Amino acid sequence: MKVRILRQEASDATPHWESFDYDGARGISVAGLLDHINFHDDIVTDDGKKTSRIMWECSCLQGVCGACAMVINNVPALACETFLRDLTGDVVTLRPLQKFPVIRDLVVNRNVIHEGLKRTNVFVGEYRPKDGEDHTHQYTVAKCLKCGLCLEVCPNYTSGRSFLGALFANDCYLVYARNHEKSKDIRKTYAKNFGNSCSKSLSCMDVCPMSIPTIASMARLNR
Amino acid sequence: MQDVLIIGSGISGMSCAIRCAEHGMHATLVSPLPSERAQSVMAAGGINAVTLEHEGGDSVVGHIEDTLRGGAWLGGKNAVAGLCEHAEDIVRYLEKIGTVFSVDENGRPLMRAFGGQTHKRTHYCGSSTGKQIVSALVMEARRYEAAGLIDRRLGQHFHSALIEDGVCYGALMFDEGSEQLAPTYADAVVMAVGGQNALFGKTTGSALCDGYAVGRLFAQGAVLKNLEFVQYHPTTLETSQKRMLVSEAARGEGGRLFYRKDGERVYFMEDKYGRNGNLMTRDVVSREIDACGHEVFLDVSFLGEQTIDQRLPEVRDLCQKYRGIDIAREPIPVAPSVHFFMGGLAVHLNHETSIRRLYAVGECASMYHGANRLGGNSLLAALYSGWVAADDMAQAASVTRRPNFGTTAWQEQRQLDAMRDTRSPYPVMYTRDMLADTMRTQLGIVRNADKLNAGIASIEHDLEIAKQLRYDPSVSTYTNYSITAILSLARAALSCALARKESRGAHFRSDYPQSSNEFCAPTLISYNDGNYEVRLDEGWTYES
Repeated sequence: MKVRILRQEASDATPHWESFDYDGARGISVAGLLDHINFHDDIVTDDGKKTSRIMWECSCLQGVCGACAMVINNVPALACETFLRDLTGDVVTLRPLQKFPVIRDLVVNRNVIHEGLKRTNVFVGEYRPKDGEDHTHQYTVAKCLKCGLCLEVCPNYTSGRSFLGALFANDCYLVYARNHEKSKDIRKTYAKNFGNSCSKSLSCMDVCPMSIPTIASMARLNR
Repeated sequence: MQDVLIIGSGISGMSCAIRCAEHGMHATLVSPLPSERAQSVMAAGGINAVTLEHEGGDSVVGHIEDTLRGGAWLGGKNAVAGLCEHAEDIVRYLEKIGTVFSVDENGRPLMRAFGGQTHKRTHYCGSSTGKQIVSALVMEARRYEAAGLIDRRLGQHFHSALIEDGVCYGALMFDEGSEQLAPTYADAVVMAVGGQNALFGKTTGSALCDGYAVGRLFAQGAVLKNLEFVQYHPTTLETSQKRMLVSEAARGEGGRLFYRKDGERVYFMEDKYGRNGNLMTRDVVSREIDACGHEVFLDVSFLGEQTIDQRLPEVRDLCQKYRGIDIAREPIPVAPSVHFFMGGLAVHLNHETSIRRLYAVGECASMYHGANRLGGNSLLAALYSGWVAADDMAQAASVTRRPNFGTTAWQEQRQLDAMRDTRSPYPVMYTRDMLADTMRTQLGIVRNADKLNAGIASIEHDLEIAKQLRYDPSVSTYTNYSITAILSLARAALSCALARKESRGAHFRSDYPQSSNEFCAPTLISYNDGNYEVRLDEGWTYES
């Protein structure tokens, strides 16, 4: 099996592809694959050239922190819960998320996510729930990892300056559902930074590792 | 105080920052990555509190007694009393800021039993309690960020504290972007850096918690406490990338441990400890699994699909995703693995360390859990310790005269630059892997003097190698400069374990299998000119 990785030594360096051989079990995840390649004293490409360790971000290694988000065979996904056995073909292609600046190799700077949420002042404040709101949906929405996969795949998201994407819409829903006093204001914020510009491709839901049904948040906020 | 520097943005760090902001103080909250990446999001099971809705017969006194007993009487009595007495306030606070707790059809909180507890008092959010709390705290912190009272800085690693004459005035922080050190001054510094996972390689916790900051502060004069008490969680699942935690919630909901012998199931915990045997404390269950000599399984299938999906959805997902096991139909193969560190920076009741104006909160501080932590008490302690530190700092005076640390910062930067100008064919990660092998072998569930001495010798050897290491460009600058302090911390943990010649809580010595009154006090360790000085805190200095 070949593993092709888009390498970049620094934020201002030119990216280039490197390939590695892998002949181990297909039961491991892409995170396990990266660990496997990095574990050796010398990291060697498939044509025998020594190279540096592959930088990638990880924390929990079990799909609950969102650190290892990257593009795997052209699909944005978490490395720790994408398994080789589920990928087709004999080549695995890894590259960093494209909507964020690269720091090194597969590590990107996603600070823009947090800056956007801070700028738009999305917080619950005081728990004063709306009657009849769906507790299960709130629980699911609060599991958002802020990993950025929904932004990577979104046709409307570009720089995070005006359109803030599905993760923003879901945070807005939490505020709306859990503090009825803010429901009017948060819907305005939602409309300005998401609702008015979303073309409803819903690709965000296809890639969300937490399976958050953003459409349900939108339906409630659009009422 | 006016300005506080908080290092680490998991639950304890955010709790402290928000409480500081509520007091009108300014908190600078620094971390390499955002709060969503912190280990806190992995806390699954719940948070303990005796609240108005408590089970009949339960009381705050009961919570205090369970915590002290579970900790084998090494938890600070006054501190534990404060923790349990404030537990209801903390749960109410979490509700108030929007945490999505699990509730019944009438909106009343659901509670489950955890190991070592006499009553059901663990409030929970499905089996992702930590994540739900983090989500709520992130939003609440955002409120104060907007008000200018919390300043979040990402991409920053702790390098060292700025200390003179036993007082801390700030920290040197390493910026990942510029690759430079910069001093950040404050009226106080709060360490909220989590546990010491990297000592053991991959644990159930986050790969980001490496113990470096605690090791570095140890070298800078901070006293550490109870390092020998490492919690092995009894139910973890082997996967190709690490051992994953099967939440104690699974046993709290009724899960049963067994092994197979001659084709029959042997429910060994129930046979030995009675009906509630599966919910003995983690240290006891881990030792029993380790000693039984069979592959052990945890069965929850009899709870039925509906209950499992309502109460343990994340456990079902995890087992299915990483091992293809459907827990509604088959048992889970489990074994103990390193999960939590009861030891860390010694702190007084106000969470100040042995260095003035330097505080520690959350898992990196040693205070409440004694020799063994109860499930459901770590989230509680993370939140409570943040409050205690913030309340104390709010009452304390600001710095009036700050020494000049310009020369220190310049010298440290020069050292770092000099290191970066070298090249080494010897990978730092190799040393980290060797360390993990040593610790897993020599500081396992069962220890003895021979193993511990062998561990110390091995790490002394690693420390000698580390002195000669040049820069390994294949890993980050932080990974390069952190290795020596991580090794020193490991060496300190082994020294503490060697000095405690008894068995207590998570520390089991096959050569001293009984508890001894002589050792019924916390262990303290200091670093003095290359010497690791261990003593018992017989006067309970840190209970004041």
